[in-house]
Amino acid sequence: MLVSKNWLSQFTTIPKKITPQQLGVDLTMHVVEVEDVIDEARFLENVVVGKVVEVKKHDNADTLHVCTVDVRDEKLQVVCGGSNVREGMFVAMGKLGASVRWHGEGEPIVLTKAKIRGVESFGMICASDEIGLGDMFPKQSEKEILDLTDIIASRYSDNPDQQIGKPLSDVLELNDIVFDIDNKSMTHRPDLWGQYGMAREIAAMYGQSLKAYEPKKLKGLETGNWKLDVAVKDVKACPRYMAVAIDGIEVAESPAWLKKRLMSVGVQPRNNVVDVTNFVMFELGQPLHAFDIKQLANKKGDVEIIVRKAKDGEEYTSLDDKKYTLTKEDLVIATKDKVVALAGVKGSNNSGVTNETTSILLESANFHAVTIRRTASRHGLRTDASARYEKSLDPHLCELALRRVVELLKEVSPKSVVSSTIVDQSDFSLDQGPIALDTEFVQRKMGVDLPATEMVRILTSLGFGVKEKKNTLSVTIPSWRATKDISIREDLVEEIARVYGYDNIVPTLPTFPIVPPKKNALRELETRLRTLLAYEGRYTEVSNYSFVSPDLLEKVGENVKDYLELDNPIAKDRPYLRRHLRENLLETVERNSHRFDVVSIFEIGKVFKKEQEGDVDGQKNTLPKQDTLLAMAHAEKGDEHPFLHVSTSFTTVMTRLGLAVHFEKKSLDDVFVHPGRFAEVHVAGKKVGHIGEVHPMTANTLGLDARTAVLEVNLSEIVLLLTEKTQYQPLSQYPSIERDVAFVVDKSAVHEDIAVALIKADPLTVDVALFDVFMGKNIGEGKKSMAYRITYRSDEKTLEGKDVDVVHEKIVAMLQKKFGAEIRA
Amino acid sequence: MKEELQHIKKEFEAQLKHVSSLLQLEELEQTIFGRKAGAFTNLAKQMKDVATEQKKAIGEMMNTVRLKIVKELEEKREALQREEMKKIAETESIDVTEPHLPKEAHGHMHPMSQVEIELSELFRSMGFMVLDGPELESDYFNFEALNIPPSHPARDSHDTFFIKDHPEWVMRTHTSPVQIRAMREFGAPLRAIVPGRVFRNESIDASHEHTFTQLEGLVVDKDISIADIIGVMKGLLSGILKKDVEVRLRPGFFPFVEPGFELDMRCLVCEGTGCNVCKQTGWVEMMPCGLVHPEVLKAGGLDPDVYSGFAFGLGRMRLVMQKYGIEDIRHFQSGDLRFLKQF
Repeated sequence: MLVSKNWLSQFTTIPKKITPQQLGVDLTMHVVEVEDVIDEARFLENVVVGKVVEVKKHDNADTLHVCTVDVRDEKLQVVCGGSNVREGMFVAMGKLGASVRWHGEGEPIVLTKAKIRGVESFGMICASDEIGLGDMFPKQSEKEILDLTDIIASRYSDNPDQQIGKPLSDVLELNDIVFDIDNKSMTHRPDLWGQYGMAREIAAMYGQSLKAYEPKKLKGLETGNWKLDVAVKDVKACPRYMAVAIDGIEVAESPAWLKKRLMSVGVQPRNNVVDVTNFVMFELGQPLHAFDIKQLANKKGDVEIIVRKAKDGEEYTSLDDKKYTLTKEDLVIATKDKVVALAGVKGSNNSGVTNETTSILLESANFHAVTIRRTASRHGLRTDASARYEKSLDPHLCELALRRVVELLKEVSPKSVVSSTIVDQSDFSLDQGPIALDTEFVQRKMGVDLPATEMVRILTSLGFGVKEKKNTLSVTIPSWRATKDISIREDLVEEIARVYGYDNIVPTLPTFPIVPPKKNALRELETRLRTLLAYEGRYTEVSNYSFVSPDLLEKVGENVKDYLELDNPIAKDRPYLRRHLRENLLETVERNSHRFDVVSIFEIGKVFKKEQEGDVDGQKNTLPKQDTLLAMAHAEKGDEHPFLHVSTSFTTVMTRLGLAVHFEKKSLDDVFVHPGRFAEVHVAGKKVGHIGEVHPMTANTLGLDARTAVLEVNLSEIVLLLTEKTQYQPLSQYPSIERDVAFVVDKSAVHEDIAVALIKADPLTVDVALFDVFMGKNIGEGKKSMAYRITYRSDEKTLEGKDVDVVHEKIVAMLQKKFGAEIRA
Repeated sequence: MKEELQHIKKEFEAQLKHVSSLLQLEELEQTIFGRKAGAFTNLAKQMKDVATEQKKAIGEMMNTVRLKIVKELEEKREALQREEMKKIAETESIDVTEPHLPKEAHGHMHPMSQVEIELSELFRSMGFMVLDGPELESDYFNFEALNIPPSHPARDSHDTFFIKDHPEWVMRTHTSPVQIRAMREFGAPLRAIVPGRVFRNESIDASHEHTFTQLEGLVVDKDISIADIIGVMKGLLSGILKKDVEVRLRPGFFPFVEPGFELDMRCLVCEGTGCNVCKQTGWVEMMPCGLVHPEVLKAGGLDPDVYSGFAFGLGRMRLVMQKYGIEDIRHFQSGDLRFLKQF
């Protein structure tokens, strides 16, 4: 919303020492966020009114003209690309030295003498946006220059030519400063949506007085005899409806002062009737609507207004001829036979004010905020009116606004007369307190020993009624703050503290007891795993979306019926909540495989299982279970055993955590995993997940061109298996002896079994390490060669070769017997 | 023997002058001291034939000569070795810029995780618990308990993802629901942070994501004041950014706090003089915060007449983007290793 300094100054005094910039900062610090402070004339230095006296075609450019512009002291030759330039036109002439913004964007550029396609140009004929007047004079087409002819003719009708050469800012009286307020910062403040409300804040901020807002009282029927009947069918949706008929309307252009006010806050003037309703909305924050009353009247000439909910499917056509199909949630203003306005949003094209209008019906109503907000958002139709209604407006404003608009109408259309009784259907109540406010409570909340007198001063200046009794203030809420904004004592603390100034509060530190914070074991496990997997396991962490596509799920054989689904997915192709990390992880592998020969990635994240009970929902039920999983994937061009890369890395990391890992091979008839390369993952004896190579067929449909293995384990389960205990073996004082043994066994022989058998074979075997596995023709079909290095050591003496020979032979015999091993030389 | 000894010595010294390598020196040493054919060795073998009375004198003479030769050999050897070492600078020279081959892979932690770990450490050191909560949350915890009833306009701005067939659930739009969960579980006094994933149904572009991360902070105790928020936040930001920072509070509205604030920090890029980062204001908006609304305390099972508290929210992604100058928020969840391998 734009706020005009000149307009504000009608209601309060801004102290001389406060610069516009400072006022902007002060508003930001005490009230609402000011995004920009705009001097209307900021791009108007060296810009004067010029009159085009000659237009010739540019010899070297079809779209350019060479113009001669009269600026009184001289006639300037200017090259101009404006599509609408013509002789006799009054223009905004940017002389040499003027700062303009090309196409209204970027940093200003200072005009210097230039040669354009071989023709000298002494300045520039400006478009509105090039001199910061784009909002005031919107361009109709891209190459349009600002045409001042009509504006000057209407303002200076006696002698327009006298304006030639005068500074444009003087001629247009552009001497205002405009504050651009971030609307998002005042959604909770219905009172700030007009200049007057902002003036009230400024008066409170600077300790200045605020001029009372007291338009002339309505005297009632003056002449004429419109019979008005208003039936409010939904009092909750329309707590107040005021209306009055005005005769003698002469629709015309608004006077300059009115147009200037509206333009300063970014509103385009239309005609005197519409302009005064807009003026009052921007001044007071109360929307108004003017109907052409003749379009509302029935055959007898009576006007019957019905405020009711629309019917499902009812049609409404807006002032700008757009059609909407309404629902029974929408509120409309209607006559017996037609909808004449979408309440609180916009009028209809069947009853708006036109140049032929002579009698109007003025509506000043209050509508239910949520109803209006939902209607506006349902139909994508947000207007200045709906933006205000959805903040919960004070119903008292209806009367003030109606008085003000009638007062102004009599000024801008002097023959206006009130030609009906004043209708006021109202049914509302506001909770205006009083709130008991303990002054000590305020001090504690602020952390400042603010005297009660200062609290009283601040509250009073904002319009609160305050009675002081000992250390308690009895505070009544002004109606414009009582609709939803202020209701509890904490709200009053905010009022006092913000006007006092948060900047004036001296920072303090609360005193906390020194206690170590309770640990979050799962978070700590996640952190350790991230560190170990990344820096020791050399896997890179990725973060995928929690949403997954049905297409992908189908490829890996998942049933979407098991999945929770978003009602309103942003990515229409990804509506499901993941139950696993693996699908999206594999997609990430695929995307990277085009650029990297090796992809080793992992993710830690939550999954969603609707069939299992999770955390409480706060209302006696439970949410779906949301465990934290770890998934790892590895793919490497030419690597035939990515499974082992993943399994080994995982084992290494778990070992660091003191957890034993076992892979229990399973044969699974599944489209997702390779039938010969799949296992359950057991950690500390408990099944916590699975690991497998992607089935070659599925790998193909997923676009994985290298063998890819993926592991997925449940960290919410693993965290329960963690123990503090770690084991330590005292260092032996005796040397050890290593012996290698190589043998051929059946391909089905399992390393883990062999290793366990070796280590258990004799007390002297203290370590067993597999160092080679080989398969090939010379080994024999269905066979594999394995080689182990066995470490022998005694805790009692230094072993000699012959001691080891005995044990080693025993072990070899065991291998032959138990595993059918053929020992290789 | 005396003459022979002198001859050996002379001959040795003459030849020593021509020695230019350790190999030649070795050969020369052999001609003198070789076990079988060394001249000196052979001479020494004749000692047994020397008359007893001369033995002592000759022996001493032999020893003197031997020591002298040995000494000269050693000196020559050292000299030659020094000479040799000088050459390895050239002969054994390597390219120090080459990597060790074959190249080893490296793993990388996601930048968001790195920042989360860093922040969690910082907060833990100040006595904050690190908490977590469900990402699919009840409407109750996400909105109602946070003083956002069904008709509240704040719901519109939250762009919520809803769950089909379960109107009572939403994808959490902020980490704030954990405020209530924490108060109910741990009571007061309480200090906690909640780093976590949140969801907003927004179209994505370079600066908007539908899935992003927040870091919620909550402090509940007796007599927490606005002055405390300013003090604690200043300390926290200084800790996070590792330099002294200036902060300011200005009014801001959030339904679950009262009063609510926007906390700005003096722009670190221009030090407050105005630049593009701070849009010429000298201040950068850092985090929303406020005193916990009494209704929220009540929903958390705490008595607002006894306890008060403050809450704040830190947009971690923005912080990371600022820190590294990342231009597109979509990189974080792209899984693109070209991005991730930089961290």
